[in-house]
Amino acid sequence: MTQQNFNPEKGYIALLGWSLNAVEAADKFDRRYVVVAPDWAQEYCDKHEIPYVPWNFERLNDRSFEIAQTLKDMGVDVAIPLFEETVEWAGAINSVLMNNPRLLGQAMLLRDKALMKRRAQLGGIRVGIFEEAHDREDVIRFLKRVNQTLLKLDGDPNDPIHLKAFDKAGCLGHRVIRTPDEVDSIPDEEFPVLMESHLDGWEFAVEAWVHNGKIRFLNISEYVTLGYSVFVPATPDLEKYRPQITAEIEKLIKTFDIEFGFIHPEYFVTSDGTMYFGEVAYRPPGFKVFELLERAYGFNAYQGLILAFDPKTTEEEITAFFPKEVVDAKGYAGCFGVYPRRRVVSRLEMPEETENHEYFESHELTPPIEETVTKRTAFGTHWGLIYFFGDDPYTMRDLLKHQEDLDFYV
Amino acid sequence: MSDPQPPGPVPAVSLDKLLARLDDAILALEDSRPFARAGKLPRLFDVIRRVLQQPEGMAAIESRAERLEQAGVFEGTDWADPSILLPALTTSSLQSPNADTVVVEALSELRLLAIARGEYLHDGFSAEQAHHYLTQVLAINLGLLFGLTGEAEREQGKLALISQGLVQYVASHIGYEQVIDSLIEEIWRILEQRPIQVEPVRKMITQIALCRADPGTDLGGAGLGADRLISSLYGPTRACSEDPGIVVYQQRLESMDSLALYNEATGFARSMHDTGLVSPYHAVFIRFVLEEEEALVTEALGLSSTGRDCLLCYRELVQTLLREAVFPETCQGIYGLALLLERGILYQPPVAPALWRQIRLSLCPEARERLQLAFGYQPQPAAWLLQGVLNVLGQPLGVGQGNNPTCQSARALSMWAYNDPDYLLQMVAWAVRDNEIIMHFEGQPVSSAESQAGVAPEVTLDLDPVSLVVVPHLDRIYAEMGRLCLGREGDPHRWVNPEFHGWSSGRGFAINVDVETGQLVELETFIRHFYASYHPYYNGNQPLIHPQPAGIAVTDSAARFIGWHAITILRAALDPEGEMRVYFFNPNNDSGQNWGDGVTVSTSGHGERFGESSLPFGQFTSRLYIYHFDPLERGEPADVPVEELQQVIARVHQSWGKNRVPSQGLQAQPGAAD
Repeated sequence: MTQQNFNPEKGYIALLGWSLNAVEAADKFDRRYVVVAPDWAQEYCDKHEIPYVPWNFERLNDRSFEIAQTLKDMGVDVAIPLFEETVEWAGAINSVLMNNPRLLGQAMLLRDKALMKRRAQLGGIRVGIFEEAHDREDVIRFLKRVNQTLLKLDGDPNDPIHLKAFDKAGCLGHRVIRTPDEVDSIPDEEFPVLMESHLDGWEFAVEAWVHNGKIRFLNISEYVTLGYSVFVPATPDLEKYRPQITAEIEKLIKTFDIEFGFIHPEYFVTSDGTMYFGEVAYRPPGFKVFELLERAYGFNAYQGLILAFDPKTTEEEITAFFPKEVVDAKGYAGCFGVYPRRRVVSRLEMPEETENHEYFESHELTPPIEETVTKRTAFGTHWGLIYFFGDDPYTMRDLLKHQEDLDFYV
Repeated sequence: MSDPQPPGPVPAVSLDKLLARLDDAILALEDSRPFARAGKLPRLFDVIRRVLQQPEGMAAIESRAERLEQAGVFEGTDWADPSILLPALTTSSLQSPNADTVVVEALSELRLLAIARGEYLHDGFSAEQAHHYLTQVLAINLGLLFGLTGEAEREQGKLALISQGLVQYVASHIGYEQVIDSLIEEIWRILEQRPIQVEPVRKMITQIALCRADPGTDLGGAGLGADRLISSLYGPTRACSEDPGIVVYQQRLESMDSLALYNEATGFARSMHDTGLVSPYHAVFIRFVLEEEEALVTEALGLSSTGRDCLLCYRELVQTLLREAVFPETCQGIYGLALLLERGILYQPPVAPALWRQIRLSLCPEARERLQLAFGYQPQPAAWLLQGVLNVLGQPLGVGQGNNPTCQSARALSMWAYNDPDYLLQMVAWAVRDNEIIMHFEGQPVSSAESQAGVAPEVTLDLDPVSLVVVPHLDRIYAEMGRLCLGREGDPHRWVNPEFHGWSSGRGFAINVDVETGQLVELETFIRHFYASYHPYYNGNQPLIHPQPAGIAVTDSAARFIGWHAITILRAALDPEGEMRVYFFNPNNDSGQNWGDGVTVSTSGHGERFGESSLPFGQFTSRLYIYHFDPLERGEPADVPVEELQQVIARVHQSWGKNRVPSQGLQAQPGAAD
C-alpha cells in the first residue's frame, strides 16, 4: 500500500513503464506520482494500491493523444520515460502537457540512432563513420569501404564494424562483423540496421541529470568489458578526462536542445584523448547503474530523475539533492553480468573465490531453467547480475575482469 | 575444480564486513515499501546464509532476530506465526537443497532461541513455548546434532553445515539434557542394526555421560536408560565399573583369582553382545588372558558351541589375530572376531590362509597414509586394517557408505563379506598392498589405477578401515565400467552389476523406468516378474540363494522422490506375524527410514537379523526400480493376484512415480490424473 505523503506544491509526475525500484523511489519521495504501464501490472498495482493508469506502449498511433489527454486531465505535470520504448511516448505526452510540440521531435531524434548521429555531427560533435543498411549487400559494401579507408590490403585482417538496431536499448541486437561470411548470419528481420566503424578506444558511459539546461550531476560509468561489467565512480585514469567530458556533454545538451531530464550517452576516448560520441539515450541506463550510484553515493537516482523532470523543482532543491561527484562517494560499486560459459549447465554454483571476496555484496542469479545454453550470436542478455562494493577502483576493475574467467553455471 | 585456490592473496571477507552488509540489507528491508519487500529478500537471505557459514554467525543472527522479524522477513510465510509451527517439519527444511529454505528455517529457530532466552519478548509466543518447541526440534534432529548424515545431507553440500551448526548452537543454549531421552532411544535403534562404524554412537554416549557427570546439569528423571550404554563403553564389569583407567585396571587384573577373571570375561561378553559396543577395558582383558589364562578367551568372546569349535580348530590363527588387531583403540575388532567365528566361515578352505596373508600384509604408502589420516598413529595402520577386516567379515551387514555417494561400492563389499569372504580378502590385499585392483568388464581388464575419477569426487574418512582403503578403488572401477557402457541403449546397471559384483548376480535384468524419458515403463510386467522370481509363493517356494543387487527409488517421508539408491536383496520370508517380507541390506548408515505413504522401513521386531532392513513384500516392490534374476528360473508370473498388483502400482503412482506416468496412460484412464 502506498504510504506516500506528497507535497501539493510540487509537481505531479507520471512514470512510463513498470520498474518496481522506480515506483518504490517515487512512493518514498514527496512528489505525487502515477504509474503508466501495460495492463499486466494492473493486478499488482490494485493489490498494493499503487496509483496506476493502464496503457500498452506500442508504436505511436492515433490513440497516443488519448493517454496524453488522460494524464493532462488528472493534472499530471510531466511524464518520465523509464525504458527505451517509452521515450517517444514521454516526448509526445510532454509536448501536450507542457504545450511544447518541439519535445516530440526531440524524443524522435533520441530514439533513432542514425538520426541522432547526424544531429550530433551537425552540432560539431565527433562521431565515427556510420551508415544505414537495408540488406546484407549494404553491410558487405560498408565493411569493405571502411577497411579500404584504413588502407588495408587484401589478406590483412579486417577491422570490425558494429551493427546496431536503430531503436533498441544498449546491447540488444548489437553485433560485431569482421568478415563477409559473418554477414550471412544476420537474420532478415534485423534490417534495417545502423552500421558503425570500430573505434579502438576506451568506451564509457555518462549519466547526466539536467535541469534548466544545466548539468546537475554527472557520473562517469567505467565499462570493464562492454556487456559484462560496469562500476561507478570511474578510476582516476578515466576521471582525469572529467573536464573534457563535461564540455562534451554541454555540447550535447545544446545540440539536442535539452532543457530538463536525464541523458545517458556513450563515448569512446582514444589514446590521444579525443572523444567520439557513440549514442545517447533519454532514459535510465541498463545494468542497474542507478542502484550502483545509490550504493556509492547514497542518493536515490530515481528521485533525482523526478527532480530533474519536475518543472516545479527549485534551484535550491536540486542543488541540495545531489552530492559532489567522486569526492562524496563512499566507495566503488560495480556489477557483473553473468553469461553461462558452458554449452550444457545443470546448476548455479557461485565460485568460492567470488563469494568469499570482501568486495562481494550480493547476486541475483537464479538456477538454470534449461540445461542447454542457447548460442549467443548478438550480445544477448545476461543471466543475472552480481554486485560488488569496495574501496579501491583498481581492485574493483580487476575483480570484475576476473569474473569473466569463472563459471557460475556448471 | 582442480585448483580451488586462486593465485595470490585475495582479500577475504571478514565477519565484520559481512555483518555490515547484513545490517545494510536489514535496513533496506525496513525502509522498503510493503509492495517492494519481496524484492529485497533474496539479497538479505543470501547475506544471512553467508553469515551463518561463519564461526560466530549463529550468535550474530540470533542477536538480530527480533529486528529481522519486525522488518518482515517471515511475512506471508508459515513462519510468520510461531504457534502454528510443527517441529517435525524442521527436518525436511533443514535438509532442503534450497538455500532459502534452510536460511528461513535457521532464522526462525534462532528467533525462537532469542525468545526462549528472554532476549526477545514476542507478542504471540512465550519463552516457555519457544523452549518446548526447540527441545522437540533438537530431539527430532539428533542426527544433525551429532553429525550423523544421510542421503539428504549429501545432496545439500555446504548447506548441511549450516543446519548442523544451527542445531548444535541451539543445543548448546537449550541444553543437551532436554533431549537425552530421545537420544537414548535413537542410540538403541541404531545399535540394533549393529553398524561397524560406531564412532558417532560412541560420541553420543560420551555426550550423555558428560551431561550426567556435570553437576551443573539437572537431568531430572532423564537419562536413566543410558546406564547400560555408558557402562558398555566405560565400565562393563565389576572391576572397571567406576572407569578407573586402563593402567589401574591392568594392575587389578594381575591380582585377580580365576573366579574373578571368569566373572570379568562373562561380564564383558554379555555387555558386548547386548549392545554391539566394545569397551577398551575388554581389549585390555583379552590381551591379558591371552598370555595368562588362555581358556578364558572363549568366555570373553561370548562364543556359542559353533564359535567355540571354530576357535579350537584355528587356535593359533585366532590368537595371532587377537595379538595383532586388538588394542584398546581397536577394541571393536573383538566383536567382529566373535561374530566371524560364529559364522563358521573359517571352515571355507581359502579363508584361514587368506587371513594369514592379511596378518602379514605390507601396506603401500597410500593406504598407510589414509588409515593414519582417519585413525591416527596408534596402533599401527595394519592393526586398524585388521580390526576392520574382522568387523567386515563378522558383520557383513554393518558396512556403511559414510558420507559418500558410493552405495554401490559399499554394497559390493558387504555382499562379498557375506557371500564370498575369500574374494573380499583378495580385494583388500590388492588394494592395500598393490594400490591397484583389476576387475574385468566383458573380458576387458579395468584397473583402478588407470581409471579416471569415480562417482565420488573424494571419498571421505568417516568409514570403517576396509571401506576406507578399498572403496576409492572400487568406486573408480565402477565409474569406469559405467563409462564403458556409454552409447549403449538402456540402463548401464544391466551390464555393470553382474560384472562388478560377481558371477552370482543374475544376468537377467529388469527396470521399470525408461532411461531416455524417465517415465515408467512396463510396470505391471516388472512387478509380476519380481514376484515370480523372489516371492516364495510364486517361485516354487525357492529361498533366494545368493544376495542380489537391486535399485530402489528412495522417497522422503512425504513420499517424494529423492534419488536412486543401491541395496542388496538378502531374502524373502514370512515374519513372526506370517506376513511375507523382503529382507534387504541398505549401505546407507541408518536403514530405519520413513519412505512416506505408510512405507516405513523396519530394522527390528519383524524377524530381522542384525543389519537387515525389511518391508512387506508389496511395499518393498513399490520402491523397487531395478532387479536382477536368473532368466532360466522363471516362476509363475501369471499367478500374482490382480489386487496385489494394483496395490503396488498405486503405491508407485502415489510416490516416486507421480510425475513419471507416461501420457498415454493418463489418456486411457483420465481419472488417474487426480
